[in-house]
Amino acid sequence: MIARRDLAVCVAARTDLSPTCFRLTLTAEGPVEAVPGQFGMLSCVEGFDPFLRRAFSLAGVSQRRGSTEVEFLIKEVGKGTTLLRHATPGSELRLLAPLGNGFSLDPGAHRLALVAGGIGLPPVLFAAEVLAGRETRFDLYLGAANVAELLEVERCGKAAAAVGGEAVLTTDDGSRGEHAFVTTALARRLSQGRVYDRVLACGPTPMLAALTELAREHALETELSLEEPMACGVGVCLGCVVELADGRYVPTCKEGPVFPAARLAARWWP
Amino acid sequence: MSVRLGVELGKLAVANPIMAASGTFGYGLDLLEFCPPERLGAVVTKGLSPKPRRGSPTPRIVETAAGMINAIGLQNIGVEAFCIEALPVLRQRGAVVAVNVFGERMEEYVEVIERCEREEGIAAYELNVSCPNVTAGGIEFGHDPAQLERLTRMGRAATRRVLWVKLSPNAPDLVGTARAAVDGGADGLTLINTLRAMAIDAEKRRPVLARGCGGLSGPAIKPIALRMVWEVHRALPSVPLVGIGGVETGRDVVEFLLAGASAVQVGTAIFRDPAAPLHILGELERFCAEHGIAEVRELVGALEWH
Repeated sequence: MIARRDLAVCVAARTDLSPTCFRLTLTAEGPVEAVPGQFGMLSCVEGFDPFLRRAFSLAGVSQRRGSTEVEFLIKEVGKGTTLLRHATPGSELRLLAPLGNGFSLDPGAHRLALVAGGIGLPPVLFAAEVLAGRETRFDLYLGAANVAELLEVERCGKAAAAVGGEAVLTTDDGSRGEHAFVTTALARRLSQGRVYDRVLACGPTPMLAALTELAREHALETELSLEEPMACGVGVCLGCVVELADGRYVPTCKEGPVFPAARLAARWWP
Repeated sequence: MSVRLGVELGKLAVANPIMAASGTFGYGLDLLEFCPPERLGAVVTKGLSPKPRRGSPTPRIVETAAGMINAIGLQNIGVEAFCIEALPVLRQRGAVVAVNVFGERMEEYVEVIERCEREEGIAAYELNVSCPNVTAGGIEFGHDPAQLERLTRMGRAATRRVLWVKLSPNAPDLVGTARAAVDGGADGLTLINTLRAMAIDAEKRRPVLARGCGGLSGPAIKPIALRMVWEVHRALPSVPLVGIGGVETGRDVVEFLLAGASAVQVGTAIFRDPAAPLHILGELERFCAEHGIAEVRELVGALEWH
């Protein structure tokens, strides 16, 4: 396990990606290691408003000379994320990372399906870029409500192309790519006989539920990255629990955020 | 100048007045790389029941202004697992351990204490009679002085170790319940637990938490906690008090000590900073040094009324 640390990080850049989403690039001194699927707890402000840190999946971690660049893709949904969207470059934040587990990226995989819905992209993009570097083949399914909310399309395409994979774009309104849910696009290819060793996914709950159903139909091993309201991120508040198939509540921050779909309780099986 | 940080809570002397609060520090070993338990005055475990508890449905937490509301429902691994898995490590590290004790029936509190009595390395018990998030037990004993006195007496009969009772700020008569706990044989009192609170989703027209209500913690409750510590200290000046409620800084600790607490517990602050207890301890030491306070214990109850 990679050691958790509370890092002083510096805002290096903010880039708008869509009307609601932005990329936040932070610099930490020295090396920071993390695997795709892991997350960090980021402070938004020094005072008590908002009170808690925010949990975000890591979208990328790149070692630079003497420092590390840590990347997040964030959707502006409330006070904390609005503050982050307007954080001054050069300002300092606290980042507790890396936290939780990651996706299974076993080197022997023949072909993986990576599925992202909307702002579920960050851990999937991180996985795609790592897999591209390892020459593990994958197809990347990226869905969003409309063309404006399709994030990092170029990077997704480039990562998939690097390993001879397909980048499948879908929108709910048909404004770009296939006019379908991302899960429908995956289902279509599965029924055409495409075979995957595993599905790795992050996105809104209805998407994950549909994916779980699909995984069961096709006996596909599927890992889902979940988001739950979180206070501490380190397993002590027990606020972020999910219910497992065996009835236990386990903290998403510690036993997740990535769970095999089959381990989750029935509420994930529509 | 060097500051003497040690304080006494009745017969229990601790190296410093900072403790990790129940329910915010796991079983003492979850945040080792940020806050080694042996460096604190004491660590208070997550509330332990005779059998493991599953806890409440989700959502369990919601952020509020300068705080949060939780309804965890005392999810815990049970006293047996604690004694086998966590306690030996805490003991070996030299941590001062207080076990937070919970039961749905009075006999269950005794059951937890009796199991712990078979183990070495437990300094104190803290009876949890103030959790607002469970339907049975706990809070009903904390609101009725007669029942609280009886429960405390049962706990007292089960151990010679230090016994604290963690009081509810939701009780109709705070000083009455404090007195009842002391009459029942408590060595000290911890106050306050969370305040019963609610958050509502305006769009969905529903409570945010699955249980509807929960307990409010964080800096939002500090002024209430200070007032309650002060009231109980004034009514029962010889009873050791452990102050808790929204402690975020060393200066907050000083305020609680002045109000009459001999030590404080740091809780929700740990969710924002897993090393919060150590940071707060450092700030307390600096405050004392800067203000010519040679011994932290000088501050206890030293509030000057104008």
